[in-house]
Amino acid sequence: MSTGLKLKDKFYYLLMAFYMAVIAYPLYLMVVTSLKPNAEVFTNPFGPPKTLYLDNYANMISRSNYGTYFGNSLVVAGVSIMMIVALSALAAYVLAKHRFRGSAALYAFFVAGLIIPIKLGTISILKLMIGWGLHDGLGSVILVSVATGIPFGVFILTDFIRMIPEELSSAARIDGCGEAAIFARIITPLLLPAIAAVAVVNFIPIWNDFWFPLVLLKSDAAKTVPLATALLFGQYQTNYGYVFAVLTMASVPVVLMYLLFSKWFIKGMTEGSVKG
Amino acid sequence: MKTFKHAKAVRTIAVLLVAAALAAGLSACAKKTEASKSVTLNLTSWRTEDIERMNRVNALFTKTHPNITINFQPVNDTEYDANMRAGLETDTGADIIWLRSYDTGRTAYDGGWLYDLTKVIPDLDKFPPSAVKAWSTAEGVTYGVPSVGVTHGVYYQKSIFEKYGLKEPSTWDEFIAVCETLKKGGENVFAQGALDDWTLYEVVFSGLGANFYGGESARQALMAGKAKLTDPNFVAAFKAIDSLQKYLPKGYEGLDYVSMQQMFGSGQAAMFMGGSWEIGVFEDLGSDSAKIGWFAPPVAKAGDKLQYCFHVDAGIGLNKKSKNLDAAIEYIKWVAGAEYAQAFMNELPGFFMYTPAKVTLTNSLAQEMFDAAGTADNTVRTVWEKLSAQSPSGNSLMGVALPGMMVDKYTPEQAAAYVQDQLASWYAPFKN
Amino acid sequence: MKRNDGKTGRRFDRLRTWVFRAAFLLPALLVYAVVLLIPILDSMRLSLYSGGGLVPTDFVGLANYVKIFTEESFSAHVWGAFRNNIVFFLIVTLIQNALGFFLALAVTRAVRGAAFFRKISFLPTTLSVLVVGFLFRQMLNPIWGLLGNYPWLGNEATALPALAVAVSWQFIGESILLYAIGIDGIPSEHLEAARIDGADWMQETRHIVLPALMPIVGMVTLLIFVGDFTQFDIVYSMTTTMANPRYTTDLFGSLFYRAAFSTPVRGGWGMGMGAAVSTIMVFVVSLGVAVWYYLFKGSRRGEV
Repeated sequence: MSTGLKLKDKFYYLLMAFYMAVIAYPLYLMVVTSLKPNAEVFTNPFGPPKTLYLDNYANMISRSNYGTYFGNSLVVAGVSIMMIVALSALAAYVLAKHRFRGSAALYAFFVAGLIIPIKLGTISILKLMIGWGLHDGLGSVILVSVATGIPFGVFILTDFIRMIPEELSSAARIDGCGEAAIFARIITPLLLPAIAAVAVVNFIPIWNDFWFPLVLLKSDAAKTVPLATALLFGQYQTNYGYVFAVLTMASVPVVLMYLLFSKWFIKGMTEGSVKG
Repeated sequence: MKTFKHAKAVRTIAVLLVAAALAAGLSACAKKTEASKSVTLNLTSWRTEDIERMNRVNALFTKTHPNITINFQPVNDTEYDANMRAGLETDTGADIIWLRSYDTGRTAYDGGWLYDLTKVIPDLDKFPPSAVKAWSTAEGVTYGVPSVGVTHGVYYQKSIFEKYGLKEPSTWDEFIAVCETLKKGGENVFAQGALDDWTLYEVVFSGLGANFYGGESARQALMAGKAKLTDPNFVAAFKAIDSLQKYLPKGYEGLDYVSMQQMFGSGQAAMFMGGSWEIGVFEDLGSDSAKIGWFAPPVAKAGDKLQYCFHVDAGIGLNKKSKNLDAAIEYIKWVAGAEYAQAFMNELPGFFMYTPAKVTLTNSLAQEMFDAAGTADNTVRTVWEKLSAQSPSGNSLMGVALPGMMVDKYTPEQAAAYVQDQLASWYAPFKN
Repeated sequence: MKRNDGKTGRRFDRLRTWVFRAAFLLPALLVYAVVLLIPILDSMRLSLYSGGGLVPTDFVGLANYVKIFTEESFSAHVWGAFRNNIVFFLIVTLIQNALGFFLALAVTRAVRGAAFFRKISFLPTTLSVLVVGFLFRQMLNPIWGLLGNYPWLGNEATALPALAVAVSWQFIGESILLYAIGIDGIPSEHLEAARIDGADWMQETRHIVLPALMPIVGMVTLLIFVGDFTQFDIVYSMTTTMANPRYTTDLFGSLFYRAAFSTPVRGGWGMGMGAAVSTIMVFVVSLGVAVWYYLFKGSRRGEV
């Protein structure tokens, strides 16, 4: 970029500072309010808390089933991502390395799913899950998350596998390995960066999904964190400090995940956008 | 050959993952059925504000029935109806379900999900007939224990009234005079907003407006199709509510129900048009019966009889498909009895039990509210019965018309016409 | 010599190859088709039915659609949601897309701190839309909020924009990320050549950066479009499924939820009608994608 004058840079940093403030302030407010007792929220709405009031968090953990909700979200995210990776990798391997009549169409078929909003089939998905006996169980949300994540997985992994030099597979084939063994022993280890990217990119929307848990899950034992957030917000609306503690707790895992794994995340998005 | 073993391995892993997911799902379902002797009954209602209090009340049941615990999981008021129905339809509903009166609760029975309680409720014949009707079919099947009624009126902060030397108004003109004085003094006259769709209809219109449209007799005429919402008496009610617009706080268009409660409870406004159920909320916020007073909806002219909206609020139903039917029946019998009634009214002042037993009210505000019914003509919320059975329901239409009127989107006449015309699209007695 | 990619070899080998291919493809294909694609088609089928309960059973043909488009109390909601969604989309595009583009330019500058800004800009996107909605709702409270006594969420003119601002605040980081990646991908020789020729920042942007980023602009626009026209969470958290005030914040997502899953008292229409709403959404989104394709791909087929 052009070399700026001192003034230009000052203006730039001012702009950036303003932008950072716009991002940070609501988050700051969320955390700070969660550390106040309800009365102080009204007398001192925007300033830092007078004391570090941890009761809101303590109450949330002891009075509500927060541990269960958190565990459910973890199971849903974990199992879904494993399945997305596994299923996508298997399909991507065939689509990348094999050319047969219809393979291009099949690939397009998968990738089209990137812009098909699964929400539009919700009524029938609910019907399906009830029919299979999966509603009000984590399995229903898992299956939905997997279906949503497969297009991106196939999209990313197919290209990635294509880039793996054919010589490696050919050499293995000469040695007597079958396709499946090639996949398991040679391709998969090389795929790890792409797998990590797919995993991290999918984690955020799966963790934060509200719509499908709202429609598919009913009993308390099955709720995930976003659903519990909405429930607790409704139950304790009159206690603002508590409500913000709930919001903060809901946000910590994903923010942490992002800060720790942003490298993989960016890698995943890079792959996706470069091809788009 | 070697290759096949590996292919199988990969495939097996994939299958196992799917199986693991299904197992996780099914086990979450299975968790609910407990094989042990101790039973947990799931109870649901729309009263999310009452978790602590309800737990204390239900603990009394567990004292006499040690192997039965009640797990109270309320759902936010606005989501409750859909949640309840969805739960019943998909067999994931609670065991004990609070039911709204008339059509909304009736759909649960019509769907075949509720247990017939006609022979289960002890002394059903001693319950007030108007209450029983709200949870029974015309053929005499009662599907909900008539549990709780609520009333509507105006709360006020005693200290603010004393400051201006104000007395509780009994007529509308006195009421407006009080509002004027407070406004001139710079006080927030009402902690009232126009954002939430239901508050203006359920409390302000049905509560304060009833004195203008003529209470129960007008409501009956309306349901029969003999009266219209565009008739002068109903329009007078709309107009009266509209006249309160200038006393609403700055920003009232964006003030939601919870903020309203907070505002009044923390002493930032002089009056609050609300329901008897709010007593507990205000107490929790620091405004107990020593600090706040209450008066009944002011009558239109001096000498009028009070038309008092004593609404049939909640009945208690039993899920036919409950996995702990016997324990649930025990609980139903208990909630229809005196011990529950007394404990409930102690913990949740402002809810008036229909139970035919002698109970004493400990809260002075609740006592005032209850006494007002003695000398009044009682009615229920305007378009609750029959007129909200289908879409667009009377309730949701009022929820658009009244807030719209309060932000001057509609005139009182237009608001009335809006509800009337939309109802006429499906309500047979209105089509002519 | 072992088989190669299935083109030669004995029939048994070919069969084995196909079995292998099927085994690898089917799991993903099945889950994708059965859980994502088929339900959408099935919902379209269900829209031709009516009746209470979870699964409508009376076949009524196009009666639901007739009802939706001829009866005022239904059509008002559908057209209202459509109009709101368009306004919503335009505001979000302006902030998230246009402003995001310029911010992406800013965070890719070769100055100290730019990488940090870039990393932080994505933070709001990691939150749940629900959390953002609740947060903004509290901030806009007329009594205790940040922005004074004005009823932002109560005034029909400002409520929907408030939702759009909240969503943009949250997702601008995603646009910045994608644009930044694109900017990173511009070969530095191009930029240097332009600099040598004396181009300033604005000319550089217009003639080099923007054309290079056009595919990404297209992708971001498409993502925003599909996301906005199915957006539900922000309405739920900021103005409830009743889309207060008076349905002026109603988007297709909230209309669909309310129509399909609420009781009549709260504005529900029954499952058959709800399915009709989701089918209408399918058409609207498809139409939008078709328009997008024409704008971003069709007219560019001749260019690089």
